[in-house]
Amino acid sequence: MKVGLFIPCYINQLYPQVGIATLELLEKLNVNVTYPSGQTCCGQPMANSGYESESVGACNNFVDNFKDFDYVVTPSGSCAYHVKKHYDIIPQTEDVTNVRNNVYELCDFIVNILKIKNVNAKFPYKIGVHKSCHGLRGLRLGSCSELVGPSFSSIEDLLNEVEGAELTSLARKDECCGFGGTFAVTEEAISVKMGKDKIKDHLDSGAEVITATDTSCLMHLEGLINRNKQPLKVLHIAEILNSSI
Amino acid sequence: MNHSKAASIFNKDEKKVDWHDKALWFVRHKRDKAVHAVEGWESLRNYGHGIKAHTLSNLDNYLIQFEENALKNGVQVHWAADGDEHNKIVHSILKAHNAKKVVKSKSMLTEECHLNPFLEADGIEVIDTDLGERIVQLAKEPPSHIVLPAIHKTKEEVDELFQEHLGTKPSGGDPQYLTGEARKHLRKKFISADAAITGVNFAIADTGGFVVCTNEGNADMGAHLAPVHIACMGIEKLIPKQEHLGVFLRLLARSATGQPITTYSSHFKKPINGNKMHIVIVDNGRTEQLSRPDFRASLHCIRCGACMNTCPIYRRSGGHSYDATIPGPIGSILSPGKDLTKHSSLPFASTLCGSCSDVCPVKIDIHSQLYKWRQIITKETPQPFVKKASMKMMGKVFAKPMQFERVGKVARWSLRNLPKGVINSKPNVWGKERDLPSGPTESFDDWYKKRTENEQ
Amino acid sequence: MSSREHILSRAKANKPDLLELPNLDLNVFTDGRDLIKEFKTKIEVVGGNVVDVVTKENVISQVSSLFPNTKVNFSTLEGTQDFNTVSLEALNKPHELEDLDIMILESNIGVAENGALWLSDNQIPIRVLPFITKHLVLVLNKENIVPFMHQAYQKLSSNATDFGVFISGPSKTADIEQSLVIGAQGALSLTVFIY
Repeated sequence: MKVGLFIPCYINQLYPQVGIATLELLEKLNVNVTYPSGQTCCGQPMANSGYESESVGACNNFVDNFKDFDYVVTPSGSCAYHVKKHYDIIPQTEDVTNVRNNVYELCDFIVNILKIKNVNAKFPYKIGVHKSCHGLRGLRLGSCSELVGPSFSSIEDLLNEVEGAELTSLARKDECCGFGGTFAVTEEAISVKMGKDKIKDHLDSGAEVITATDTSCLMHLEGLINRNKQPLKVLHIAEILNSSI
Repeated sequence: MNHSKAASIFNKDEKKVDWHDKALWFVRHKRDKAVHAVEGWESLRNYGHGIKAHTLSNLDNYLIQFEENALKNGVQVHWAADGDEHNKIVHSILKAHNAKKVVKSKSMLTEECHLNPFLEADGIEVIDTDLGERIVQLAKEPPSHIVLPAIHKTKEEVDELFQEHLGTKPSGGDPQYLTGEARKHLRKKFISADAAITGVNFAIADTGGFVVCTNEGNADMGAHLAPVHIACMGIEKLIPKQEHLGVFLRLLARSATGQPITTYSSHFKKPINGNKMHIVIVDNGRTEQLSRPDFRASLHCIRCGACMNTCPIYRRSGGHSYDATIPGPIGSILSPGKDLTKHSSLPFASTLCGSCSDVCPVKIDIHSQLYKWRQIITKETPQPFVKKASMKMMGKVFAKPMQFERVGKVARWSLRNLPKGVINSKPNVWGKERDLPSGPTESFDDWYKKRTENEQ
Repeated sequence: MSSREHILSRAKANKPDLLELPNLDLNVFTDGRDLIKEFKTKIEVVGGNVVDVVTKENVISQVSSLFPNTKVNFSTLEGTQDFNTVSLEALNKPHELEDLDIMILESNIGVAENGALWLSDNQIPIRVLPFITKHLVLVLNKENIVPFMHQAYQKLSSNATDFGVFISGPSKTADIEQSLVIGAQGALSLTVFIY
């Protein structure tokens, strides 16, 4: 099984530790993982802003980098979802459809492809899970509160096996954090209010650390937490799963 | 005013935002409780979606069938291409019956057509009889929600309105007292009305009948007492058969308020002996929306308002911030089809979280349609130069790995080295209330290269 | 071209290719709940009252004890002339029923999932009655309770009615700050007698 690692643009530049944790974790799990050096961005920032046409170059570059792998794994539900859902703007060659079918968010890959739940991590803290929307309602990494059906969560499956970890429960378990890409800037007032409400819910639930599958949501929440000097830490789920404190 | 501006004004009063958010979340919560108790809920949604999709794919024939049957039932049928024609038709019916006093039950269509001011201009009194609608009518405001028209009003505000207009005593906003006073006030209006106007929730092609749902009983009080009943409906209200009501009446109230069904689901077919019944069938942009493959599913909407109650943006910005007859997520995919420029900010008033699509009882892919409207809006309406240019630049940077690396280096250096005051200065909207990440010395790329070199 | 022709031609031109009408498999909804128990629970959930009686004949005496001081009463049950204080034939306009205190009607369908009862022109002598009355009393044979709306419409398919209504509970509103208030524009209370 040949796995290509996609590190989203903002993780590459601003949160390299998330990329490092992801790579180390996959290697620990004996995955034959390669990081293709020509990668940039999945194209989502332009596309969600209404400039899908400007993202064609990024889409093509993505496919070029990952067409030869059995799986593409990324520590971002949002990017994986974008490739799956919106790469219909470039011609659907075999390479494109393969990449779209084989792209996986990290937890999804570990639980549903590797069929592993216990990654031998230790992390003795109270963890509040932020279920990023594109992972939850886009990739269906877990059941959401709107739909009627069995309850499940790949993220919680993994965290429940982490030694010492205690999951807290929110009053609104899957409300959006308010990041939303350029929304964070164009609808600044609402974005900030949503983030503040989300953080309050986590604080009320007794969480010490907020984690998620998406660094973009976390960057927004961390920005608010740091500005308001609130007693919460923010870590990408890869960092927790790769942890052995 | 665009949505973002209106929303930031609404957010100046954080307590009110919290109050509004909680009130609507409470309704969303009641909806959850109700639907999770229904065996086969997701099948019910699939059926609702399927029946609506089928109906639209055969709409002209169903409209003809509906008209034929309604005529057989002794109902007069009128056709209006747009809102103006709708208003003229209603006006002419009222004139023909010399009707001066009209009671109206909830109809978003008549809101959309701006019927009230049209009739009032000719001296006709129009009383909205749904309590929430009456409240906003007295306040001279449009509804801020399609099911809960006065959800933005506090009980104290209602108390003051009623003191001023209905002569009630100050009650500190006692809902029981205020509702009782409204009942007395509206009883007088029902008894003296010359005509009743209602909306239509579902129109049945097979029988020519139509169904109106209310909790208050106001549609029935109006329609059964007045000598003339005018029912106004958009062409998308059709369903093929009466048995399909079984699906939609199970979906509607649970999604709207968490009730298992509305108090009254009234099935009108023939007028009372000696009375008149009219149906006005309205297009007003609907056939155009039908022509758009990406957006036609928006016509499935049964106006439950669940997408508003669940929308984290709607809850924190209020219905009026959308400046459209139908606010919230569903309004944001319907309105651009009517006036792309006026409503160009609405599809961007979303994080694309997808909760609206999952809560929708007829499975409209609302968030996907929001995304698609964005693509159209940036092409067909004027966009700020900076936004356009930066998107073009990003597109180029991300298409070529070398450029991406160079730009990334500069950005990280800036985050590390520029003073906070510069980083969070005015052009950086992000930094108004949020810190930016600190800007690490090395990117993941740098780290990976080093690691590879060390290994060799 | 008239607006009618215009709308129909545009609907025809703009509609997608014909999509199939789904076949409803009602088995997916089966939840095994006890019909009578569920029906009673739901009536109470929607703000109504339930009274068990042995036979229809017991209704009037029970109503009289539940609502002791009513002035204007009307019932469509057989043999209740003594209870009635108005004769409908004598009324020129239904508007004169404004002071009606109690209206007793028979229903022939009850729906367990939502506590709704069906009334049609066959059971209502004047359409406005169940809405204009202060207190509405409905009488139903428990044999006529169906599980879901689907089965209710199956029963309705054979009898064409000019007007009919499903009533679930008394009239209500929550338009003032989401506070539920029973008694909006329609009946202030609903009592269902099941025999």
